[in-house]
Amino acid sequence: MDKLVQFGRSLMQPLLAVIVGLAAGAIAIVIVGGSVMETYAEMWKGAFGSFYFLTNTLSRATPIILIGLGVALAFRAGFFNMGSEGQMVLGALSAAVTAIYLPGSGLVKLIAAIIAGIIAGGIWSAFAGWLDARFRMNLLITTLLLNYIATLFAGYMVSYPLKDRTGSAAMAQTVMLDQSVWLPKLFKGMSLHAGFILAVVGAILLFLFMRYTVKGYEIRMLGGNPLFASYGGVQRGKMMLISMFVSGGFAGLAGSVEVLGTQYRYLDGALTSPGYAWSGIMATLLAGSHPLGTAVAAILLAALQTGGMGMERNTEVPLEVSSIIQAVLILFVSAKFTYSFIKRKKARS
Amino acid sequence: MDFLLDASLFASTLRMVTPILLAALGGAICARVGLFNVGLEGLILIGAFSAIVGNHFTGNVLAAVLIAVLCSLLFSIIFGYMSIHLKANVIVVGIALNFLALGLTTFSLRAIFDVKGAYYNKDMVGLPKWDIPLLKDIPWLGDVLSGHSPLVYLSILLVIGLQYFLFKTVTGFRLLASGENPTAARSLGIKVSRIQYGAVLICGVLCGLAGAQLSLGNVTMFTEGMTSGRGFIALVATMLGQSNPIGVMASSMLFGFMDALSIRLQGFALPTHFTMMLPYIVTIIAMLFFKDKGYIQEARKSNESSR
Repeated sequence: MDKLVQFGRSLMQPLLAVIVGLAAGAIAIVIVGGSVMETYAEMWKGAFGSFYFLTNTLSRATPIILIGLGVALAFRAGFFNMGSEGQMVLGALSAAVTAIYLPGSGLVKLIAAIIAGIIAGGIWSAFAGWLDARFRMNLLITTLLLNYIATLFAGYMVSYPLKDRTGSAAMAQTVMLDQSVWLPKLFKGMSLHAGFILAVVGAILLFLFMRYTVKGYEIRMLGGNPLFASYGGVQRGKMMLISMFVSGGFAGLAGSVEVLGTQYRYLDGALTSPGYAWSGIMATLLAGSHPLGTAVAAILLAALQTGGMGMERNTEVPLEVSSIIQAVLILFVSAKFTYSFIKRKKARS
Repeated sequence: MDFLLDASLFASTLRMVTPILLAALGGAICARVGLFNVGLEGLILIGAFSAIVGNHFTGNVLAAVLIAVLCSLLFSIIFGYMSIHLKANVIVVGIALNFLALGLTTFSLRAIFDVKGAYYNKDMVGLPKWDIPLLKDIPWLGDVLSGHSPLVYLSILLVIGLQYFLFKTVTGFRLLASGENPTAARSLGIKVSRIQYGAVLICGVLCGLAGAQLSLGNVTMFTEGMTSGRGFIALVATMLGQSNPIGVMASSMLFGFMDALSIRLQGFALPTHFTMMLPYIVTIIAMLFFKDKGYIQEARKSNESSR
């Protein structure tokens, strides 16, 4: 019973934030002169209204979940990894290159491409971790800077050496991947692909890992109290490299499944402009770095985004209402510490 | 090298660096009181947008700049309230504010001007260009230093002013003390949270000016997300300069110079991607040599983690 109450209380905060977020969105809708109920109904329809829209939302959620998981792991270890964007882009590029140039059967290429994506993202992320562990360069800053370098590098690769010269379109993109390496779709005619299953399995595995393994405990300890962790014999530098590698690996995987399951090629800007990386970070913040919660929050954010698109198609209300809702959501969840703070104050008096 | 490093290169450095410098000064003040402000990007964006709004409705540049400052100020109050009063994690609040700024500006762009992407109106007046009387007649120096917007000169004055304020005045020492060791400062009777609020508000003003320079100084228009990472670069400049106004100016200048140089280098056969990478790579290398000492620890002291 106690556990149930505790669980309910932990749900209260996000729920409250959702309500406040929707209220803020309602104000915005009223300002542009739309009808609140009608607009939200359109939004709901755009996100979950039919099986097609539902799968659409879930396929948009796929990279967000994976990135969120990676960021959650890093957050739990006490590292602010802001470099998911660069890690994702490099992962996507490596996956595309592997799938195009590696000889072998479709399945071998597919698995190799996914692994290549994970390794590329992981190494890029671990590089930032290494800079911090070895030279004490602030991780938050280096990961941000490495984002720009990674996206520009990937942009160069697909504009010059790897550019698709077969088609007439002058887009900066690689050639189309062979159909044999495509990630299978889960339902015929729907955009949802097998990457979603990878994301869900990843969330469950990460949850179990953090909860029940020694390494997971060490990571949580490092994030919770670095001094205690170092007394306990946890080596910060080594843990940093490992957790940053895994964190970046998740981001790389996100890029790979996007390339192998949705785009079927690396197209410059296709991963950065929808803001998957920042959405992933938002999902993590919303869920307080809980792996399963991150997955749920990612689906919620994806629903807000696809719902916003549906809303824009059918009403006069602009898409940006959904980004306002998202931002207010985060802002209110970040005040989580508040409530415990108020409680502490009350207890003292 | 003559054709590469001429006066106009340095002049454009100065022009491009001003928004970054102003915001970085704001970030430095915040860092000095132990608040690591990741929300600079959002604050600049709000400033840039409200400057355009002010310009559109009043047609007066001064009023536009004031409105920009006011709106950024309001926004920074949210940051202060969340992070000082409610004790939320500053980095999380900063990130959330960036999102809110991006969402609000694109939304208001649709709601107020009914356009998507960018707003441009040829009737809008940009910031005036000031020719400094004596200076502009000096051959090379005049080309570099003269003919900028007032905010460019203001930013340089602010560097000197802030340096003096932080290290030579009593209030400045109190500010440093409340960042260095909040508990000790409190026991001396310094109102730490009031000083923190003050710092956040100064940061808001500076970011508003930065935004105004961005949307009214360099160009006279607003585009969605036009800060494009400048706030984060300002954050880097804050850190590289070790939250020291003069150091912050030096590191912003380094970045601005590399930025201007990279645009210049595009005229050569180099691929643009690599020239655009240059500022970021140089910054990472510079970080190797100028490691921040105090302020990360300060930030860590007042907030469980800074990363």
